[in-house]
Amino acid sequence: MRSYLLHRLWQSAVTLVLATIVVFLGVRALPGDPALAFAGEERDPASLAAIRERLGLNDSLVVQYGKFVLGALRGDLGTSTRTGIPVSTMIGTGLPVTIELSLLALLVAIVLGVTTGVVAAVRRGRPAEWFANALALLGLSVPNFWLGLIAILYLAVGLGLFPASGFVPFGEDPVANLHHLVLPALVLGTGIAAIVMRQTRSAMLESLGADYIRTARAKGASPRAVIGRHALRNSLVVVVTVVGLQLGILISGAVVTERIFGLPGFGKMTIDAVFQRDYPVIQGVVLVTAAAYILINFLVDVAYSLIDPRIRVAGGQS
Amino acid sequence: MGLSLIARRIRGRGAAALAIALAAAVAVGCAPVQQAAGPAAAPATDSFGTPADPAAVQQGGTLVMALSAEPDMLDPTQSRSLYSRYVFQTMCEKLYDLDQNTRIVPQLATALPTISPDGLTVTIPLREGVRFADGTPMDAQAVVTTFQRNLTMAGSGRKSELGPITSVEAQGASSVVLHLSAPFAPLTSALADRAGMIMSPAALQQLGDKFGTAPVCVGPFKFEKRVAQNSIDVVRDPNYYDAAKVHLDRITYRIITDASIRAANLQSGDAQVADTLSTQDVPALRTAAGIQVLQSNSLGYQGITFNVGNVSGLGNPVGDVGTPLSRDPRVRRAFELAVDRQGLVQAVFGGLYTPTCSPISPDTEFTSDAAQACPPHDPAAARALLQEAGVPVPYKITMIATNTPDVLRLAQALQATVADGGFDLQIQPVEYSALLDQQDRGDFEMLQLGWSGRIDPDNNITNYLSTDGGQNVAGYSDAALDALLTRARTSTDQAERVRLYGEAVTAIHAADPIVYLYRIRNFTGVTAKVSGVQVFPDGVVRLAFAGLTR
Repeated sequence: MRSYLLHRLWQSAVTLVLATIVVFLGVRALPGDPALAFAGEERDPASLAAIRERLGLNDSLVVQYGKFVLGALRGDLGTSTRTGIPVSTMIGTGLPVTIELSLLALLVAIVLGVTTGVVAAVRRGRPAEWFANALALLGLSVPNFWLGLIAILYLAVGLGLFPASGFVPFGEDPVANLHHLVLPALVLGTGIAAIVMRQTRSAMLESLGADYIRTARAKGASPRAVIGRHALRNSLVVVVTVVGLQLGILISGAVVTERIFGLPGFGKMTIDAVFQRDYPVIQGVVLVTAAAYILINFLVDVAYSLIDPRIRVAGGQS
Repeated sequence: MGLSLIARRIRGRGAAALAIALAAAVAVGCAPVQQAAGPAAAPATDSFGTPADPAAVQQGGTLVMALSAEPDMLDPTQSRSLYSRYVFQTMCEKLYDLDQNTRIVPQLATALPTISPDGLTVTIPLREGVRFADGTPMDAQAVVTTFQRNLTMAGSGRKSELGPITSVEAQGASSVVLHLSAPFAPLTSALADRAGMIMSPAALQQLGDKFGTAPVCVGPFKFEKRVAQNSIDVVRDPNYYDAAKVHLDRITYRIITDASIRAANLQSGDAQVADTLSTQDVPALRTAAGIQVLQSNSLGYQGITFNVGNVSGLGNPVGDVGTPLSRDPRVRRAFELAVDRQGLVQAVFGGLYTPTCSPISPDTEFTSDAAQACPPHDPAAARALLQEAGVPVPYKITMIATNTPDVLRLAQALQATVADGGFDLQIQPVEYSALLDQQDRGDFEMLQLGWSGRIDPDNNITNYLSTDGGQNVAGYSDAALDALLTRARTSTDQAERVRLYGEAVTAIHAADPIVYLYRIRNFTGVTAKVSGVQVFPDGVVRLAFAGLTR
């Protein structure tokens, strides 16, 4: 077990280093100069040279990379070239917003998707199923930004039920925080809810046709118990897998949703940093993201190895 | 409130049309050239807003402004974005300010500067008894400290604006003397912008180059907090010398980059003020109950820059680009004649922007008939000139432009309008940062970009078209124009400066290194819940003395 852990730890460290190199070189391969992006319309050769010097852009790539790595090891990811705010502070405020939005969207997706999926399966061939299918089709077809604008138009501007944009930290005012996140979470969760609904419906239909359901019915179980306790529970395995696979969509959708609703999240921060050629911010967010992915993968692998010793053996031998 | 803005759009044109328009906005693809149908645009009349009536506003409360872009560093020395000036307006007063007629008026100074007959000594009298937000005194020594920082800090955005200042000295506690190596007429206007914002020496000592993270100046409000990409909060400063004029407790600048979302926030009441409204939203907002649209001409321009000599990058000697467009002024002149400015602003901006042929705003005291002279739209003459120049007609040219929907619509309209004049315009959309890079390297034939503008014409012309100009991306070099611009910037006689800048514009039209197209108008939405918001031609939204209506 120890050799397996060491092996995976080594692999993770190498992956992280490679990720930092790829990101470091990748942002520098982008067309456009950070000094120019910072100076904008107010620039002249002398001040551009001073800005390049201040940003360390005149150093060799090796020196710049070395400074980045040494800083990161000390927990210093640098400061935004545009705003002068420390990158770690920006990540510290942006990441919780995106995580909260994603979790709420996932909740919306699961509640909406599973409910309509079950209804569609149980009411197969009836108007309820057509309605649920139509909803799913709509959810899959309508892009986030469109749904976001419509939600702002009717629910925020028209009915005044929710704020049109903005964000209040949970610690400051939990009620206002949720009030601001309801619309973005609905918008972000709807697309995933459609996928969850279709998978739930298929899995439920398969379960409802299985022998054990017939047996449960023959034993006199109530329809609610048959659907809830037997069919749905067995279908949820598929649903959970599908939800897991949607995490990527969730994160990319969060970028668009954050922009529409003006949420100060991780995604919006990344996009803005790329457009502004804000190297320290891009490097910082990608480093944190890569580290999080690698850490999660590492923990999952460790968990697998605990569950199934064959993985541990194979891993140790490879 | 009646039908909302977006609902009108949807009902007016159909959801499918809006979906397509939105898709275009996101994908940065092609968009229709014509301005969307809607209520007819009202004539462009200025509406700057009025000061708050103290009897009609409450004391206290929070005002939320939807800000169209994120300000950069909140450091007057290092800042380079217009949007920082919006925030500075409430917390960093300047030696001088502009009034609604774009005249320079004293703010932290008590009078306009006294300039010695040789133009080499400038004396500025200061207000007395003024304190910074940290309680320390704002005196002549503090002004000297600010000037020295602006003049010496690496990467200072103010150094070039301050011109040939050689030294700064305090004369007692309430007067500052600037010594120059040559007369520099644009200095006073520079002091009415960020170069004139006085920073607390104590805060500078403490924060150094991180001053922008917690700026301390003199202002009706003081900095409280900033959440990156999201918001900036300022709160009332009890130390302010004219505190009785301040009504609000707090102003929150909330960054909302999408124009439609800003308009929606205005309508929903989540924001009481929104800047830079889209010309597509303005007609409907003007007729919406409870919303007032303030408007003023901008000091800047949008135009076309030709590469006439930028062969090895900005800051390097100019050379021969080797194209008919760069070598022969007749080809550029033909382009200017082929452009239908009125048609462009009508098609793309619903007639809400103002066609222009000049880098000098007609709203400033530097304007003249010569400065506003405009070649007529004459496609037949354009074709004739191209034939005279011996180039194949249609003449193919490639223009780089930023890949935003508005600019692409403009580029397509331009493409259509110059076709009649014998030009086959190819559009090459690029992202803004990449465009800046390409233009500085000289890797372009022509490009579309603008300048936000300043009141002094020197800032609008010299940087861009003098041989040694810091932003002479055209690579233009004309000794006669250089001499005119030098005389104009060193003259202390206003009438002479007006005449010289008129001559400079005539010289520019003779060679057309830049073809000026139009001026945007500053459209700012204000709800009826707030009073006292003002916007002058410098585009800065003035919120400091506004209040929530009773």
